[in-house]
Amino acid sequence: MELLVTLRKIESLEKFLPMVDGIITGQSFTTGYKMSKDDLRKARAYCQTLNKKFYIVMDNFITEDERMILLEYFSFIEELNPDGIYFHDLGIIDAAKSSNMASRLIYDGKTVLCNSLDAAFMLKNNIESVVISRELTLKEVSDIVTNLMGRVEMQIFGHLRMSYSRRRFLTNYFREINKDYDYLGKETLKLVEEQRDYAMPIVEDENGTYIYTDFILEMFEEVVKLRPFLRRGIIDTLFIEDDNLVAQVCRDYKRIDENNKQFVREAFLHNYPGNYSKGYLYQKTNISKDG
Amino acid sequence: MDKIELLAPAKDLQKAKIAIMYGADAVYVGGKFYSLRSRASNFGLEELKELADFAKQYKAKVYVTVNIVFHDADYYGIKEYLKYLDKIGINAVIISSLALIPLVRKNAPDLECHISTQLSALNSAAVKTLKEFGADRVVLAREASMNQIEQITHKVDLPVEVFIHGGMCSNYSGRCVLSNRMTLRDANRGGCAHSCRWKYRLYDGRDIISDPYTLLSMSSKDLRASAYIERMIECGVASLKIEGRMKSEYYIGQVVKTYRRMIDDYYANGPLTKEKLAYYDNELTKAENRPSDDGFLSGDCDNSKHLYGVNGAGVTHDYVAYVRDYDEIRKLAIVEVKNVFQSGDVIEVFGPHINNKRFRVEYMFDTNWENVDLANKPTQILNIRIPFKVEPCDMFRRVAQE
Repeated sequence: MELLVTLRKIESLEKFLPMVDGIITGQSFTTGYKMSKDDLRKARAYCQTLNKKFYIVMDNFITEDERMILLEYFSFIEELNPDGIYFHDLGIIDAAKSSNMASRLIYDGKTVLCNSLDAAFMLKNNIESVVISRELTLKEVSDIVTNLMGRVEMQIFGHLRMSYSRRRFLTNYFREINKDYDYLGKETLKLVEEQRDYAMPIVEDENGTYIYTDFILEMFEEVVKLRPFLRRGIIDTLFIEDDNLVAQVCRDYKRIDENNKQFVREAFLHNYPGNYSKGYLYQKTNISKDG
Repeated sequence: MDKIELLAPAKDLQKAKIAIMYGADAVYVGGKFYSLRSRASNFGLEELKELADFAKQYKAKVYVTVNIVFHDADYYGIKEYLKYLDKIGINAVIISSLALIPLVRKNAPDLECHISTQLSALNSAAVKTLKEFGADRVVLAREASMNQIEQITHKVDLPVEVFIHGGMCSNYSGRCVLSNRMTLRDANRGGCAHSCRWKYRLYDGRDIISDPYTLLSMSSKDLRASAYIERMIECGVASLKIEGRMKSEYYIGQVVKTYRRMIDDYYANGPLTKEKLAYYDNELTKAENRPSDDGFLSGDCDNSKHLYGVNGAGVTHDYVAYVRDYDEIRKLAIVEVKNVFQSGDVIEVFGPHINNKRFRVEYMFDTNWENVDLANKPTQILNIRIPFKVEPCDMFRRVAQE
């Protein structure tokens, strides 16, 4: 398993890169990445120097009006010569055909890739690898990664995206209550439902609004068993300000094994206390009115 | 140019039949399994066959939603199900699992594969990709503007379907799992709890920044695309889709009939005048219980397209009775009571062959021929003197306000 971390600001590069096998970063058609084109070039060069992998992410939906910008961005990406492109919009597959990137596409299904057959379908259609959904139980994950040995990836750390809207919830809300507030791209805002007490990060940018889980997924121990089957494991840094914490997460995921897993996890949780969770790994989310 | 298709939802057999009789060219329904909207009644295998047979009499089509986001275990029995749908003459399945395309081709060769809006196709490149994957039709994401829909239809040769009416997901369809976190119900497997319509406080760090009297909600107004029907016809959209597999027979009947008339009017007489559009809009209002707007069709969705306070818009007309039969000799409508009404109320009748004829209720009798002044027992059968002919499946609505 390649261990990857999302690089959202260039200042984190030197801290993260030595600990991992590569980085995922981006600029357009994604959110929460504060990288300029020069930052991307610099990150690319540094990856080459350390012989690390370099991946681009484009995980937003693209309107028909944005297709020309997309094609221009693809030209820039070609210049960077990434090892892969994480995408979410199926239109990227067609757009990539006019570049030499078609064989480097990695489909991140976000919330809609929950089974082996759909994953296999994408792989059969020349997608290099797939990222499975976050709402799966450990048993379901194990089945998928076993069925598709070495062609599947997953997020192994970080807040999980719960919703993605083209609507500008924050802009509209502040307009509704007639309040001036500096909110665009701000990563410190949180939503609390009136009957609940947990706080879910919410961020809005020019592409829409995104809401994430209140908790941070950690699966140190589970990764040990999954690692031989996974192509890549992704540490997502969105909303995590402390680079030292991220660096430690990278270090720990690298070194964890069957013998030290309990110690590594407990030491991490002790040194970096926070709202961690196993997410849905042990929690089915298919409750219906029938039970 | 093929006439554009009007596609209506139905949660059970009766509503599907009403949709077809009121003018839908096609209906989409869910089976007991593999379908979102788990709270809808949904169709058993026999009911699907009955619907397919019924639809054939009207030259209407039936599409079955197989649109949950599948987990591995959910595929159990799917091949047999697809074969059955094919055998009974279902025309298409609406899918979000791309892996179903080859399964359909192999096991149910006469079924078309329509790609659900769950896959959020928002550009022509996505539609082209889906065509290469083997799709027969793509339902566009509700986030596409009318201008973008026109661009897409001009660039692709795959039929596209567009939502024109009904509830809107406030997030991209399929990309919201708020219910999973907040209620342990999987939004993508029929368990959506509409968490987007709840109220939220907003914090920046530890500071609360929301207004205590107007909390943040993601709830959106419903969609009403009546003003765009002409452009959709002219740019080659294949199908106009009404949302609402949870909706009542009254809603289905009224909305389907109004769009049917609007479409037929356009094909018969050309562009609709402002007066006609206003009339059809008013007809749609009679079925609404939430405010509506044109969603993303006009571009961005600003705060005027959200609901921060009251959810209901207030209906101007109440659905009060469903016509079971008509006694031509005694000039009596035999109706099933749906909601309260009484002698003296003004009733508007509409149906597949009748447009908004009104009468005042004077004489009502129960099945024992006892006089009734107040109809307040749902499902009760009443005989009502009426000055014009009605048909089974016509509906009565009380004119509550003008």
